[in-house]
Amino acid sequence: MALQILLNALALGAAYALLAFGFVLIVNATSAVNFAQGDMVMAGGYVAIAVASIAPMPGIALLPFVLVAMIVVGLLSSLVAYFPLKSRPPVSVFVSTIALGIILQNTVNVLAGAAPRAAPALFGDGQLAMGGASIAIQSIAVIGVAALLIAGQWWLFARTAIGRALRATAQDRVMAEALGIRANRMIALTFGLAAALSGAAGLLLANTFFVSPSDGTNYIIKAYISVTIGGWGSLTGAALGALLVALFEVAYPQIPILIGLTESSTAVTQVVFSQTTGTILLYVAVLIILFVRPQGIFGELAQRRA
Amino acid sequence: MALKLSGMGALAALAIGGLIAWPFVFSSSYDLRVFTLAGIFAINTLGYQFVFGHAGALALTQGTFFGLGAYIAGLTALEFGWTFAETVLLAVAGPVMMAVIIAAPVLRLQSHYFALATLGIGQVVLLVAIQWEPLTGGANGRPGVPGIELFGAPALRGIWLAAFVWGITAIAALIAWQSMRGLVGRAFAVARENDLAALSIGIDIWRLRWIAFLWSAAYAGLAGALYVRTVKVISPEVLEFHIMVAVLTMAVVGGRTHVAGAVIGAFLLVHLPEWFRGLDRYYLIAYGVVLLMAIVVAPNGLVGLAQDWMGRRRRAKPPAIPVVTRRTTRRTDGREPASLQIENISMAFGGVRALNQVSLRIPPGEIFGLIGPNGSGKSTLINCVSGIYAPQNGRIMLGDRDLMRERPHAIAKLGVTRTFQNLNLIDQMTVQDNVAIARFAATKAHFFRDLYDVRSRRLGQARDEAMQVLERSGIAAYAQVECGGLSYGTKRRVEIARALALAPSLMLLDEPAAGLSSAEQRELADWLQDIRTDGMTLVIVEHNMGFLMPLASRMACLDHGVVITEGTPAQLRAHPQVIAAYLGNEAVIA
Repeated sequence: MALQILLNALALGAAYALLAFGFVLIVNATSAVNFAQGDMVMAGGYVAIAVASIAPMPGIALLPFVLVAMIVVGLLSSLVAYFPLKSRPPVSVFVSTIALGIILQNTVNVLAGAAPRAAPALFGDGQLAMGGASIAIQSIAVIGVAALLIAGQWWLFARTAIGRALRATAQDRVMAEALGIRANRMIALTFGLAAALSGAAGLLLANTFFVSPSDGTNYIIKAYISVTIGGWGSLTGAALGALLVALFEVAYPQIPILIGLTESSTAVTQVVFSQTTGTILLYVAVLIILFVRPQGIFGELAQRRA
Repeated sequence: MALKLSGMGALAALAIGGLIAWPFVFSSSYDLRVFTLAGIFAINTLGYQFVFGHAGALALTQGTFFGLGAYIAGLTALEFGWTFAETVLLAVAGPVMMAVIIAAPVLRLQSHYFALATLGIGQVVLLVAIQWEPLTGGANGRPGVPGIELFGAPALRGIWLAAFVWGITAIAALIAWQSMRGLVGRAFAVARENDLAALSIGIDIWRLRWIAFLWSAAYAGLAGALYVRTVKVISPEVLEFHIMVAVLTMAVVGGRTHVAGAVIGAFLLVHLPEWFRGLDRYYLIAYGVVLLMAIVVAPNGLVGLAQDWMGRRRRAKPPAIPVVTRRTTRRTDGREPASLQIENISMAFGGVRALNQVSLRIPPGEIFGLIGPNGSGKSTLINCVSGIYAPQNGRIMLGDRDLMRERPHAIAKLGVTRTFQNLNLIDQMTVQDNVAIARFAATKAHFFRDLYDVRSRRLGQARDEAMQVLERSGIAAYAQVECGGLSYGTKRRVEIARALALAPSLMLLDEPAAGLSSAEQRELADWLQDIRTDGMTLVIVEHNMGFLMPLASRMACLDHGVVITEGTPAQLRAHPQVIAAYLGNEAVIA
């Protein structure tokens, strides 16, 4: 049981981490928040469903389609919602990406309908017997694919020339431009990569948890909570935050079972250990973190230059 | 000017006339209902303008406060049979209480941190409303909420309901307009445009934000109560994010800071789906497109466009010849020049030590010069004294007060003011108003006082006082010019005048002579000498030795965050380490 919960949490956390990476990459590159980042998860899920409806194939084969389509979506979204506003206060970009999210969400709603849909599993729906417990292949596959994507992301940023240019742009755009880096292209590319990572999370999540057009808001809050816990602007922090959020979400409703309360499952325990109560507690925890330690659990306090 | 104003006035009269005529032309019960809803959303948007427009904070709670007000009004009517007046009181009080509670953790967060934190709170409230099924009816909600009844009369309907709601909208708009047209409104503008400038003249930007947040909650609660009593059903729909997006869109499309913007935005966007009914399922996409286009093309909304078009924003031409007739007057505010004692302060940014165990004594009534190469920590020191940075240790004593215990705006109120190396003026405001807002703290301008100060006496008084300072500073001729159109040298003067308007006892000037011509520098030096004789302590950070040497009675030289020497100007000029710091070690070795 505990192993099953741990694997489920890891799978969910890995998907959240991809989403949170997308969020952090854009914050670092532009110091603006892309509110539509949650909708990118949703869009990725629907790209997978759309492709699979034309040519049925397992989820793992859909991944390249999702990545490419989402890079395009990301580039386009930077063109309509970021570049026209890049010299305005960051709040303008926040508003424009809210608009972008509305457009994405309702376009999908018109095309595919409001009902939740499921994407194909990565390899199959089977279960794996492991020491008495049975474990969903999908969970393991999700963890594996997410790990590969995270590794790929790390390799791109740490080991390639384009990654260095991306990091230079994020650190100091003016300086990067002075050194001959085309900062605007790098920022557009960052939007593309961020959308691709979040879209991949959509593919990974849309089998177990389904996907519906209005999911974006929920996901952007998850990304925000992960990043708040982990420390703004840190990729490692975001990943740790995402894992903590997922662990809490998966494990919290299972607490009565884990501590052996199954038989005496009363109305009270049902309410106390419901998904809703869990979400509320998680959010209260975030508010407390913001109040006590605004730089995040793993973050370092940065003072603003005057 | 009179002609231009009457142009704006005519436009406003036309709009109000149109609003009054509307329900008589479009008088079907369906049209009246849509019109009534427009009035309700106008109230909510008026509220949102406090926090989003005036305070400039992207709160995503307006929909939540609205929904909470709706639930409170609906449930108290259903459960306890409360009258409309009773439910409204609680529907306003509830969101305000919630605003007070959540303000503590979230209000200090910067822009998007704040937005996302407030969004999450909304999601939690929505979840609770759906889950608490016995009371709220869960996802389906509860029907049968009574209409708006007054004094035991039957519930208002049709045109009477529309008139009642729009009557309240008019009152709400009037209150919003009155509260922001005086000194408080100007203080909000400064806090929004330039928080450092606001803090430097004693404006408590967090308090302003807090007040705006509470008012937006109150308006939202009122709108929510009207809404639930109009649609007569209470359901989680009122808490969903699209309400928040609608209000945000209304504020952006109409204009963020002008009451007309809220009314126009709400009127247009509530009617938009009716007018574009042909779009059918696509209208929500159109909504997103409208919001996106508005923020890109017309960031100040339709009202901003109208103002541009009417030419009200056309900048008056600065007078060709500067009139320099400075007058020296002994200060009459009873403040004495203050002494400043800095004891062992250190300030590090990450691994960089910007200040290392710095100690300085500056006696009252002295002009103290602070020199040092770029990056030596001079500006950091000023930022520490004015409270923008918190040093990691040590003490900063103004007389017998420890400034390190005070917040930046409080330090300004204690009589410590400053100017900035990179000029922090509000370009869209006139010179006179830029200086007048420095009187905000001193005139005890208060949100509620400005509400009943119907003739804006306080603003008039502050402007008079500003005018006196401008005359003393020799820039009275520029009073009505917008700061954005001024020359660099004049901007410097305005900034010093703004600092003087605070009647400080200690003034910190960060490179005041930078960018000035030699004639302007001489004039500035004379002026600063006069200011000192008037009764003030001055700390001047400067690179320009020719300017500073004759002016300062004592000086200190900073290098790499350490005071390398302190003494008279002559002593400093001869000090080998000062020469080394300025010319580089190689020069000394060679």
